[in-house]
Amino acid sequence: MLNEVLLTFAQWLGAQQWSTGLHESFYMYNWIETTHVLTLTVFLGMLFVIDLRMLGVALTDVPASKIAERLDLPMMIGFTVMIITGLLLFYAIPVRTTQSVWFRLKVILLIAAGINAWIFRNRMKAAKPTWDLDPVPPKNVRIGAGLSLTLWIAIIFAGRAIAYDWFDCGKDQSAFLNWAAGCVADVAAH
Amino acid sequence: MDVMAFFTWLEGSTLGHIAKSYGGVYAMAQTVHLASMALLGGTVLITDLRLLNVALRDVPSNVVSEGAHKWFKVALAVILLSGVFMVAGVAMKAYYNDFYWAKMAALATGILFVFAVKRPLLRKDHSLLPPWLLKLVAIASITVWFTVAACGRWIGFS
Repeated sequence: MLNEVLLTFAQWLGAQQWSTGLHESFYMYNWIETTHVLTLTVFLGMLFVIDLRMLGVALTDVPASKIAERLDLPMMIGFTVMIITGLLLFYAIPVRTTQSVWFRLKVILLIAAGINAWIFRNRMKAAKPTWDLDPVPPKNVRIGAGLSLTLWIAIIFAGRAIAYDWFDCGKDQSAFLNWAAGCVADVAAH
Repeated sequence: MDVMAFFTWLEGSTLGHIAKSYGGVYAMAQTVHLASMALLGGTVLITDLRLLNVALRDVPSNVVSEGAHKWFKVALAVILLSGVFMVAGVAMKAYYNDFYWAKMAALATGILFVFAVKRPLLRKDHSLLPPWLLKLVAIASITVWFTVAACGRWIGFS
C-alpha cells in the first residue's frame, strides 16, 4: 500500500515539466550532481575532521570542543547544499529512485546517522568541562565518532550504488529484493 | 614511453580484470575514493579557510596547517591507490577522455603545489609571512583542488 502511494507521488513528480527538463538537461543535471559530490568536501570534510579529533588521532593539540564548534557552521552549510542538491537529483528521476533499494537504504542510514549525531552531540556537550583538552577523548565519544565515520562511508556507498542497475525493479531477482526496493507489480521500473 | 601501450596493458592486467568484472568491488573503490576525497577536501579547506581568516580563527594557523597536513597525506595516498584501481577498469575510455587528462594535469599541479610551494611556506612561522601571501596560497590551493575534483566528476559525464 505504502509503495503504491510513494510510486503515485513519484509519478506525479516525474510528470512535471521541470522534472523532465532537469533530467534531460545535460549541463543542469550534471552540475547539480557535481555540486552534490563536491560538497562532500565541505560537509563530510568537516565532519571527518571533527570525528578524527574525537577519535584522538587528528589535531590533538586543539581542544576538542573548539574543533567541533568552529567547524559546525561550515559543516551545516555543506549539509544544506547537499540536501538541496540531493532533493533536486531525486526530483529529476523520481520514479526509478523511489524504487531503488539503494536509495531506500541511504534514507535509513541517513536517519541512523542523524540519531547518532544527536546522541554524539549531547555526549560531547555533557563531557566538555572534563576532557576537552585531552588528546584522546573518552571511550563513549570515540565510539560515537567511529560509528559516525562508518555510517557516512556506508551512505556514500549507498548513494554511489543508486547509479547502478544491479537490483532495479523488473529484473529477474529474489522476492526479498523486490520487496526491499518496493517494486510495484505491473509497473515499468523507468 | 608509449602512454597508450601502458593504458592498454593496464586494462588487460589482473587489476583491470577485477575492476571490470566485479561491479560491487568497483563501487566500493569509488566509495573509498569519494570518502578520501571528502577527507582531503576537509583538510585543504580547514587550512585554507584558516589562512583566509574565515574558520578556526582562534586556533593558530600553524597548528591547523600542521595537523591538517598529516591527514592530507593519508587521504592523498588512499585517493591515488583507489584511483589507480578505478582507471584500470576503464583505461582505454580514460585514455580518450579529455577530462581524465585535465584531471591528471590538475592533480600533478596540485601535488607539486602542495609539496613544493605550500608546505615549505607554511612550515615557517606564519606571523613572519605577509598576510597577502598566505591568502594567495589559500586561494590557489582551493582553486587547484576544486579543479581536480570537478574534472574527476566530469570524466563520468563525457
